[in-house]
Amino acid sequence: VQSANMLLRKIVRSSVLPFAAQHGMKKDLFPLSRTLSLSLCLKQDKSCEPSEKLDLDEWKKVMKSGLEEEVSEMVSQPKELSSLAAARETLEMWRLAGKAVPENISEEQLKTFMECPSKSAKKKYLKYLHLTELRKKNDKRKMDEKRERRLKAQDQASKTDETKKSPFVCMWSSTMDKAYNWRAAQSMIFGQPLVFDMSYEKEMSVREVTNTVRQLVLSESCNRRSVDPFHIHFCNFKDDSLYHREFIKQYREAWGKLLITVTEQCYTEIFPKDKLIYLTADSPKVMKTFDHDKIYIVGSMVDKSIKTGVSLARAKRLGLETAALPLEKYLLWSSGAKNLTLDQMMHILLTLKDTADWKKALEFVPKRKYCGFVNKPVKELRRTLDLINTLKLGKGREEVQKQFAKSYPKK
Amino acid sequence: VQPPEKPLQAEEWNKLREDFQSPEIFEEVMLNSMIRCNSPIDVAKSLLTHLAKRNGDIAYNVLVKYLTLCVQQGQVSEIRDVYDVMKVRFKILESGAYNLMIKGLSNSDQWRMALTLLEEVKKIMIPSRTCYESCIKAASRHQEMKLAFELYHEMLAKDVIPTLDVLQSFFDFSRGMKDAELQKELFGILLYLRENQIYPYETFMRSIKLWFESIPGGNWRGYLTNIKDSGQCPVCNHQLEDSNLTEEEYSNLSERIIRDVIHGTDTFRKTSPQEFEAFQTFVENRLPFDIVIDGLNVSHIKTRRMQCENLFDAVNYLAKENARLLVLGRKHMLINSSNWKRKIMKEMQNKADFFFAENISEDDAFLLYATLRSGKHCKFVTRDFLRDHKACLPDSLTRHLFRKWQRGHQILFSPSTEGRTFPLFFSQQPAFRYDCVVQTTGDTWHIPYKDVFEEKCSYQVPRKWLCIQRK
Repeated sequence: VQSANMLLRKIVRSSVLPFAAQHGMKKDLFPLSRTLSLSLCLKQDKSCEPSEKLDLDEWKKVMKSGLEEEVSEMVSQPKELSSLAAARETLEMWRLAGKAVPENISEEQLKTFMECPSKSAKKKYLKYLHLTELRKKNDKRKMDEKRERRLKAQDQASKTDETKKSPFVCMWSSTMDKAYNWRAAQSMIFGQPLVFDMSYEKEMSVREVTNTVRQLVLSESCNRRSVDPFHIHFCNFKDDSLYHREFIKQYREAWGKLLITVTEQCYTEIFPKDKLIYLTADSPKVMKTFDHDKIYIVGSMVDKSIKTGVSLARAKRLGLETAALPLEKYLLWSSGAKNLTLDQMMHILLTLKDTADWKKALEFVPKRKYCGFVNKPVKELRRTLDLINTLKLGKGREEVQKQFAKSYPKK
Repeated sequence: VQPPEKPLQAEEWNKLREDFQSPEIFEEVMLNSMIRCNSPIDVAKSLLTHLAKRNGDIAYNVLVKYLTLCVQQGQVSEIRDVYDVMKVRFKILESGAYNLMIKGLSNSDQWRMALTLLEEVKKIMIPSRTCYESCIKAASRHQEMKLAFELYHEMLAKDVIPTLDVLQSFFDFSRGMKDAELQKELFGILLYLRENQIYPYETFMRSIKLWFESIPGGNWRGYLTNIKDSGQCPVCNHQLEDSNLTEEEYSNLSERIIRDVIHGTDTFRKTSPQEFEAFQTFVENRLPFDIVIDGLNVSHIKTRRMQCENLFDAVNYLAKENARLLVLGRKHMLINSSNWKRKIMKEMQNKADFFFAENISEDDAFLLYATLRSGKHCKFVTRDFLRDHKACLPDSLTRHLFRKWQRGHQILFSPSTEGRTFPLFFSQQPAFRYDCVVQTTGDTWHIPYKDVFEEKCSYQVPRKWLCIQRK
């Protein structure tokens, strides 16, 4: 009853009321609302005497009088709130105060919120929920718009009823799926293995694991669509791990039918050690060419904090060869970490496998991270880049010019 | 938007609102600009009245904005009215509104009401530090020092960290009071500064000085001074506390560094167990060293010279004093190259012990280990501030210990203009022999302070001191 009342109050207060008041709707349209009838009276009062003197404190009277009955209602409610209800109440107030707080929050989310260790963690979590909510709403709106457009188009199409002649039955997507699956199945027999090391769960927060799994799903799908897919291995994969649960959330029934190898074993147990290369941005060795006989390992980890050397440590422990992508060699790096997302790695490796063209492969590095491809000695370019950056920021211009004069002396 | 100068009638507000580009947020924008222009409160009231009449309600965030305006102008009765309105309208309030009300009321003669509000806040959340600060200041302004200190302790108990401003206000308002209990509390604040290695800024230091000098019958006198390198106070000739760690602190720190910095979550991240073991045996067989040098770091001091020459200079300089040296390097130094000449490397190895780590290992970890194992007298040379290693330590107490140890043991080289390398000790000339914290002997107090404008890094310490003594 309480929540129904609250809802009604909210509706009356927010949207309907001004509309109703302006258009002079009859009050028995809303027989349950007290506030409405009251402010309707006010409105009528005012219209009777248009040029009354301003009573500056009138708002207080309105605020108090309109709510007296509600107050008595509230007093009759049990005063002690459960901690969950109290948290919900606090959130509501934050939302009213205009902070980034989701409109709806589930019991589970509320518990997560209360378990956040600090104020800033709480704020961050709420903002995250808020943004997700906004995104979902936007998506839904777009979907609805699309559906409407489609319906309209269908309407028109049915009016101009004309049978199309085509030798194929229109079944594109399922046919494609079959073709992709055929290729993936072949890759499981003949394809080059690519290992994702799933042993990083302990180093990650829940959200990082979620992100990792999303990236893995993207990687798997782009592998499936490629001309010559890898044979994907998820190694060190534990049933009932957080990874596993997230995969099931993402793939649902399809998880059991994926054409990949999922195993609890370590890659060192499956493949000969001398064939393995661990790809990690921390590696001191730089990859020169893509080797079709080697088995590359990618760590399934998203690292939002700074955990340098975690995957390098894994490789060191097992005595494996390591390699990093030659990002510095081919790209004029500007900002951002050198570690790439798993799907970017997948795109790069697939392109390398098919074309052996570094330039084409490194197109998949996000554009914001680099200024361009290297065509001159890197040192020279670096100097120009620094100059551009300082000029852009506009500070220390003179100093830069001095330096510039020093490095490019007039002859 | 420019807020109007006089209260407006409803029609006039309506007109303004319709002219505004996005009418939904008109009220918010208008109130924001009223806050900015500090408009007369009546104008805001007329807007609220207009709102109330039109909607039969006023949104919470609009009320909070109005409250901000009231607090800004010290309109105490209005603050109370807004409070009454909010209490009727909402079950609980959020911290923003409470902060404002407490701040507004604490500055008025109704400051006790702020205390009541604080009690109310406590029921639903941990009050913010501004809430506590307002109340503490209000209480001490009205000479209710006991109450102020109660709030202060409560705040500390809840892990709400007070600003230096509040601590200063304690000294300001206790001036001239003769009260043993109060004195004890204020000494407590000074010890709080000591334990957390906090340095008061200059005005705060003056408040402390004035308070000491104002204690009736205390005969305290304060002087501003610079402490000598020897650690002696030039004013009272008192020798400041030693910068050495106690045995317990020292072993605690070494243990922590080995556990958290070198091994961390995974020994393989910085070295490997085999390598570390090899290093341990190497060090144990040659202990103790007097100076441990980060070879690679030192070799970069001058960019124009060969790296091995830089290192050679440093080793020669330090070897003069007959000290036992350990140089930490990486294996690539042993390969003859344009920067590393084998001949010079050979020559250096006669003067110092060398340990070469794998190229991908972190030699800093070895540096810390070798220095700590050699004992309290051992110093180390690097230009690195070791911030990332400090960050590996889990609690602030150990981090303080680490900084203290670093101040006393790190030697810093810097290139000089004359082509020779002069030693320059870490951050200030000779490594500190005295400990830079608030300290007392009962009859004297020595308090380091910083100038307001220079922001100190955690590895720097102030050089200026307040010396207080009883005549």
